[in-house]
Amino acid sequence: MIRAIIIDDERLARNELKKLLQEFPDIEIIAEAANANEGIEKIDSLNPDLIFLDIQMPGKTGFDMLTELDKAPDVIFTTAYDDYALKAFEVNALDYLVKPIEPRRLADALQKLHLEESRDRETGTEDEIAVNKSLLHENDQVFVKDGERCWFVKLADIRLFESVGNYAKIYFGSNKPLILKSLNALEERLDEKVFFRANRKHIVNLRLIEKIEPYFNGGLLLELKGGEKIEVSRRQTVKFKEMMSL
Amino acid sequence: MQKTSTYYWWLQIGGWGMLALIMILINVLFGQRVDQQFLISLSLKVLVGIFTTHLFRIYIHRAGWLQLPVEKVWPRIALGILIVCLLDTIIRISFMNWLDPANSNKKLEFSTRFLLATVENGLYIIPWTLIYYFFHYIEKSRKQQLDTLKLEALVKELELKTIKSHINPHFIFNALNSIRALIDENPLRARTAITELSNILRSSMQTEKQETVFFEKELNIVKDYLALEHIRFEDRLNVQYDIAENTLTQMVPPMMLQTLVENAIKHGISKQVRGGTVTIISRMKDRYHQLVIRNTGRLSKTGNEDGFGLISTRNRLYLLFGEQANFHIREINENMVEAELHIPLA
Repeated sequence: MIRAIIIDDERLARNELKKLLQEFPDIEIIAEAANANEGIEKIDSLNPDLIFLDIQMPGKTGFDMLTELDKAPDVIFTTAYDDYALKAFEVNALDYLVKPIEPRRLADALQKLHLEESRDRETGTEDEIAVNKSLLHENDQVFVKDGERCWFVKLADIRLFESVGNYAKIYFGSNKPLILKSLNALEERLDEKVFFRANRKHIVNLRLIEKIEPYFNGGLLLELKGGEKIEVSRRQTVKFKEMMSL
Repeated sequence: MQKTSTYYWWLQIGGWGMLALIMILINVLFGQRVDQQFLISLSLKVLVGIFTTHLFRIYIHRAGWLQLPVEKVWPRIALGILIVCLLDTIIRISFMNWLDPANSNKKLEFSTRFLLATVENGLYIIPWTLIYYFFHYIEKSRKQQLDTLKLEALVKELELKTIKSHINPHFIFNALNSIRALIDENPLRARTAITELSNILRSSMQTEKQETVFFEKELNIVKDYLALEHIRFEDRLNVQYDIAENTLTQMVPPMMLQTLVENAIKHGISKQVRGGTVTIISRMKDRYHQLVIRNTGRLSKTGNEDGFGLISTRNRLYLLFGEQANFHIREINENMVEAELHIPLA
């Protein structure tokens, strides 16, 4: 059973989608929201597997709402025709449905979702998530928006978090967009077995380290898969060595 | 090109013919003999003149001298004139010698004759070239003027076409989506909604053909439009009309009020979580028809989002009414935007 929330400012649009979803018995609509703030509230309290998200909404757009979530559930965007919003999709091939929604396209989108879900099960991650909800798992995804471009990024693909004032710059692939989260807040939520606080400004993904070299004052210099060189402070070096020797 | 060519031959033959007549006339007036030798020499002058200048013209065309800027043309022309004069002389002297070898050699040295003939040729060829260029120069500038006018007309027409009425596709698809949901929930309302939508689509297609329409017609479209948006926004959209009866027969540009109301929804109501009110006022004021559209919301600070709608409204008014029409948009308080149109009375 997939637990889903519909977020759309138009009552009729929500009704129409609910009606279409009656054909899919394994989708259960557990809540509806009429704007982004309501949406965030319901996502936080109900922790759905999937959201159907309208992009143009009063107050905040669907994209803005996603960037505020610590971790994004699976998302199927719904939109009436809109050039600006569709540009984001062209770049990143996120899944979206245009309104009025074609039942066959809806079936395809849900089908794709099932495939991903079963892949996740194979790696045996769902149980762990259930164990500790507040901790982010490396298979969780975050939604990142940088100007007109946006991405869903798996935490496992992020090699580095860098503190930039109140923001954190995240490094994945060849991109390094900013997210509005402090490094300290992130550190609390990240799995410390994978994400290591190397110094005041950096958190590195231990699985994406290329080289480790000794450095001044008994510190270490880590070279990441993307070529970034990160210094490990002396105090953290002790901790790092302890973890690695395990 | 055919026409220019005919002109050319008329001028060419007419010009040289005129020259021949004048020379005969001068000879007669000054009591000189118009004998066979004079006539032969004159015909030769005219025929060779036509021949060489025609060659010159062909060359000018081939080399594209007519397209060159003036400062580049002068040296070429000067050289061209010299060569044409020399050519003319050579041909003429050869002919004269061939026709009448005995007579011509008697009077003058060859070099003197050559020089005199060349200078004489200059007297015809230089004016010929000047006339030729002058004619082309006038022709060219007239054509340029004509092209500019044509282009201006085309631009104006295109502008009006593209500016007129873009029904927002976003609106159409949202409306269709609402109607689909209504089919089960309220079939009667769904039926009227389809009528409303087709009215809007029809009128947006017809605007291509008309410059102005009765305000009443435009207002009906806006009413249909707002009725459809009301289905979508439900109690988040509140509409108020304040329409003076005597404005209904005024002429307005089609889809202009519609575009402004659409902006009021898109940038005003749809951005408010709790929705808001759209007010439409139409009344006579002094010498113009005043249209006011108020909506809950703020003017976007960046200003380029709705730029196209506003700029195109302004441009359309200017193209149709010149300085007499007027349009502006402003915030009247911290949560209300007002757009105002002044259209001159017909």
